[in-house]
Amino acid sequence: MSTELIKVTINGQEFAVEKGARLIDVCREQAFNIPSFCYYQDLALQASCRMCLVRIEKMPKLQTSCTITCTDGMIVTTQSAEIEKAQRAMGEFLLANHPLDCPVCDRGGECELQEMIFDWGDVEERFVESKNATPEKFLSPIVANDPQRCILCKRCTRVCDEWMGEDAIEAGNRGVNTVIGTYGGWLDCSQCGNCIEVCPTGTLLDGTYRHETRPWELDQTISTDTYSSDGMQLSIGSRGGRVHRIVARDRYVDGLNGEFLDVKARFGHGFVNHEERIKTPLIRYKKGGKLIPTTWDEAIHFVTNKFKESGNNVGVVASPRLTNESIFTLKRFAKEVVGSENYTISDVEDLAPFFNNLSVPLATHKEIRHAKTILLIGGEPEEEQTFTAKQIRQAVRNGGAKLIIVHDTPIRLTAQASQFIHVNPKSLDAFALAFADKSDKTILSKIGAAQSEIDDLLKLIGESEGDFIIMFGRDLSAEAQAVLANVAGNFASEKRRVLLHPLPLYNNSVGANDMMAGRKSLSDVLINSTALLIGGSLSKPSALTDGFLSRKDFIVVQEMFETATTEFADVVLPAASFAETDGTFTNNTGFVQRVRQAVEPVHQAKADWIITSMIAREMGVDFGYNFSAPAAFRTLADSIDAYAGLRYPHLKDESKPVQVKHPIAGKKDLSKETDALRRGVEAMPETNEKIIGTPKVGHKLHRLTTMTSKTAQFHLLAHGNPKPENLLVSPLVQFNLDGTPRVEEKAEAASAGDRISDVKRTAGVTLDGKV
Amino acid sequence: MSLISDVIQSTKAILLGMKETISQLPKQSWTVQYPDVPITVQPRYRGQHLLHVDEMGKEKCVACYLCAAACPSDCIYIEAETDPRPYEERIGRDERFARVYNIDYGRCIFCGYCVEACPKDAITHGYNFELSVYNRADLLKTKDDLLITKQKQSKNYRVALSSEDVDSEYKEV
Repeated sequence: MSTELIKVTINGQEFAVEKGARLIDVCREQAFNIPSFCYYQDLALQASCRMCLVRIEKMPKLQTSCTITCTDGMIVTTQSAEIEKAQRAMGEFLLANHPLDCPVCDRGGECELQEMIFDWGDVEERFVESKNATPEKFLSPIVANDPQRCILCKRCTRVCDEWMGEDAIEAGNRGVNTVIGTYGGWLDCSQCGNCIEVCPTGTLLDGTYRHETRPWELDQTISTDTYSSDGMQLSIGSRGGRVHRIVARDRYVDGLNGEFLDVKARFGHGFVNHEERIKTPLIRYKKGGKLIPTTWDEAIHFVTNKFKESGNNVGVVASPRLTNESIFTLKRFAKEVVGSENYTISDVEDLAPFFNNLSVPLATHKEIRHAKTILLIGGEPEEEQTFTAKQIRQAVRNGGAKLIIVHDTPIRLTAQASQFIHVNPKSLDAFALAFADKSDKTILSKIGAAQSEIDDLLKLIGESEGDFIIMFGRDLSAEAQAVLANVAGNFASEKRRVLLHPLPLYNNSVGANDMMAGRKSLSDVLINSTALLIGGSLSKPSALTDGFLSRKDFIVVQEMFETATTEFADVVLPAASFAETDGTFTNNTGFVQRVRQAVEPVHQAKADWIITSMIAREMGVDFGYNFSAPAAFRTLADSIDAYAGLRYPHLKDESKPVQVKHPIAGKKDLSKETDALRRGVEAMPETNEKIIGTPKVGHKLHRLTTMTSKTAQFHLLAHGNPKPENLLVSPLVQFNLDGTPRVEEKAEAASAGDRISDVKRTAGVTLDGKV
Repeated sequence: MSLISDVIQSTKAILLGMKETISQLPKQSWTVQYPDVPITVQPRYRGQHLLHVDEMGKEKCVACYLCAAACPSDCIYIEAETDPRPYEERIGRDERFARVYNIDYGRCIFCGYCVEACPKDAITHGYNFELSVYNRADLLKTKDDLLITKQKQSKNYRVALSSEDVDSEYKEV
């Protein structure tokens, strides 16, 4: 869009607007309300609802303003008797077959059709013919469908295609027989639920929130996603201490992600009010004994005594799912209370090599959307950073960006790629080396790609203008990440801005990396300390199997659920979930975003940072927070350079997120890392076998507990290592149409405790698997 | 003042009072013999609410929350639930029904907005007016107290016929 201004007259008033602006947007900006259903910014044009009709001079008929681009001297009328008549008639036609079952419909109260008909429609119905009654049905356990309520705006099909690239939902038949349907009657997709979000009527509904309450009864709390590192903004709908649903509707929240959410963010909230939450502090008085419920006073006292007995040799481990405040308080506990340097985070990868060698700034999601060239090395954003994946897809589809993917697996995004370099399995390090050091020709055989492919890649980058964004996943080793982050700056030129985008796994991986600067490695902490204070659970299963934990004298775990880590714990303190605490998360673009308390902590749970400061106070150190989250954040901001000067009021507006400026290291001498990388690459076995076959996105997502075959995402019920039963407590199991679970699901379920065999019809399958 | 004038003044005053008393004697009595004789209430009298059922005994309420939304004193509390069973087996007439339906008569002002708001004619005002309880908590009535099939109607009232002229405070005396 150019910045050239043209003149448009709307209802007699003249406005200077940008050339190429869409008429409906211009009218709405100038406060001329134009009704529409099918128009949705950021999606392809449809012009099927005919509600946005306007009169444009010298055009013979009324025109749909959503498809008109402003031209110079255009004279537009948006309100007249003629237009109102047309709009009223459209409203009447839409209602011709729309059942008036608003009292039963879950969308009632926030339904765009309901509001529009009140404003523009003819509320009196003149049709006496009976309506086509079609029964409600479930397209999947979490998507309910009432075809009769559909007004065929096709927002859902466009979202499915353009945002998710899945085409799982499509319009079938023609004319008056058109229905929105799925292939085979079953929604075979990643179940992101974005079709539910954008539906203006009650046609597509949240199956987990079915008939639960009404939108005006819910308290809407704007918060941040607790699953993916994209930091998507969402609205938690709670009532009476219970989280009922999570949405990202425009009317409630205006975050970086618009109305986009993924399956975990939208439906994975059942753990908040789950009956298996730890209710009281638990103490295991004897090794190998049972965890016995106790009071907070007793538990804190017990912990303090035991920590003192261990000579204050306490290691502190924080989980990257916690808020910045909690992680920082844990670090303060290590440094100020027990005076040890044994603190770390339990992330699956260490982000320090990336952030310590940053040569260019981080890209925001908006910059990804408008980037001209994107290089993706490894990673699987469609599963792990879904919003990044959506931005990449839209940058290519709608923005004409060039996407280059270097991967050992032909992931689904390769369909969008202009160049795909298919490397040998696990040889991405070798590619990083080749990318950083072009002189080395011997490693090409390890990569399994021709020199010409790399030359093409470099040529494509060399010719590109505008924003060039480099992302790489966790497939790369720490050295490779350090080297890549540092060489990225070399590609910058006058016409080209280079930006980096990390793809960490957890919601607050970046924040945890910032908070716990100067940490030791997890194994060092586990070896060097006699007692442990663990916030959250350990996410690396190896840390548990190595037997470190069983050899510790005393372990305190702050956790929501019983996990594999709490099995080793001597004291378990009930922690609050993200919906019960105030705090901040830092996302993968460096945005610090608020997490707000939606419900009171369930049972006796307390926020992690409160628990830590209670122990600290009992041990004689007062952090001075006075149990106020803003005070905790102030202390944090004052001691971390990137966060300097930030306060909660700065983070108030979710539509203007604040980006922390991670220090840019500039060019560094990384010969040590390069050598280590080279040694690693040389040790790689040579192979010619490549991974063929695109993994299906969402192939495990309906489980909500695992993300890809590669990544165990133990995040839902128990971050860390859930008990096998817990894995199946959330069985959004795929069902056949006759109500039986699908065969492969049944087999897996049977092997893991057979918790779902009695789950019958899909209707009302809640997260805890009850009908 | 002498004693005689005192007597005359007092007698005058008594006679004046008795005149009013005696003049009322032939008129209609206002005292009602409640609870021995039922009180006559107007057909539109707003007493304790009734939750209605259809001809098959299924609750009409679909828990749309409109009554709670219309309530100016915020005394209605509802929890909705879905009941996917077939019509014959389920509790409500529709798939959606109120699992919890509470009215707090400590707060209710009997304005009738809930009745006007109801799209399913599921809630109306009944005639029960004897709502006194010994314990304030008992003023909270649950669905079991409100359902027409379960609510006990008091014997202490009779509803006036529409043609009947019912005593009211507005009546000209």
